[in-house]
Amino acid sequence: MIASAEDRKSIDAYLAALRRQLRDLLDEDAKDIVEEIRAHILDKSSADRSADTVAATLAALGTPEELATRYRTEELLRRAQMSRSPVVIMRNLLRWGALTLAGVSVFLISVAGYCLGGFLFLIATLKVIWPRGTGLSKTVNADGSWGLGLGFSNQPMTGHELLGWWLLPIGFVFGTGLIFLTFRFGLWSLRKFWRPRAWG
Amino acid sequence: MPTQDNAEKWEVQLRKGSLELAILASLWEGRLYGLEILRHLESDSELTVSEGTAYPLLNRLRTLGLVETEWVESDSGHPRKYYRLTEAGRQRALEMTRIWDRFAASMGGLLAPLKPEIASALGHETKKEER
Repeated sequence: MIASAEDRKSIDAYLAALRRQLRDLLDEDAKDIVEEIRAHILDKSSADRSADTVAATLAALGTPEELATRYRTEELLRRAQMSRSPVVIMRNLLRWGALTLAGVSVFLISVAGYCLGGFLFLIATLKVIWPRGTGLSKTVNADGSWGLGLGFSNQPMTGHELLGWWLLPIGFVFGTGLIFLTFRFGLWSLRKFWRPRAWG
Repeated sequence: MPTQDNAEKWEVQLRKGSLELAILASLWEGRLYGLEILRHLESDSELTVSEGTAYPLLNRLRTLGLVETEWVESDSGHPRKYYRLTEAGRQRALEMTRIWDRFAASMGGLLAPLKPEIASALGHETKKEER
């Protein structure tokens, strides 16, 4: 066991520095890492009882900066190893959503993003096929109130059409953009926050 | 000698590349905590691994879901973090072992013509030592 107050001080100083260096990581992950390294130092330095054993154990770990850099490098490696397929991303989001509120939120936002993106894309496509029934229209009611409607029907549109053929590029660009952003959002959330089967 | 240097660098890369499999394999028979894994690697394979490399790698294996962890109280006065293979981890270890075997077999065939030379060089050295 470690008796010397000096040893305790140097261990605490090392771990505090490590904790600061790990601030990019999730809080619970960083805490867990620090506690594990503490257990390692205590175990290793109590196993062989040479005089400078705590100092030697700390030296073997490298400086807090070096150790934290290795953790960050491994984290980057992990992120790089994750699949970029939208189908895999959505499946993982669904699994994540079954566990936490954050997962549910990201999953629902992704579903909404893909649906809205797909809808814009569809509207733009339909404008080509059925130009007179598709568009963004402004209707003024008898009492003077008005409404906006984006959509399509098999009837020619009522009301004043606002966008005309501009609907084509706008629908395609915003639809594609939204789908892409949703994809990036899902991937980013998974990489940063999702831990498959985090705690045993 | 520069060639000696390069050979050592190559060996470091080889060890690094096989460390992930070595760690998964050390957990095959049951749960271990970090220091036990390090000692297991040293005693069973002379794979001396620095703790500064092993712990960050273990953390990545955890975040990938290949191992899972639990804190267990111990007699030493502080809890220890134990690692255990998940089903995905077992599958990964088996898959890596298959790849390893295939690779070693094909390299073995390629290297066969070089072997007699190494054996005779080794013979010379032992004779020198005996003298």
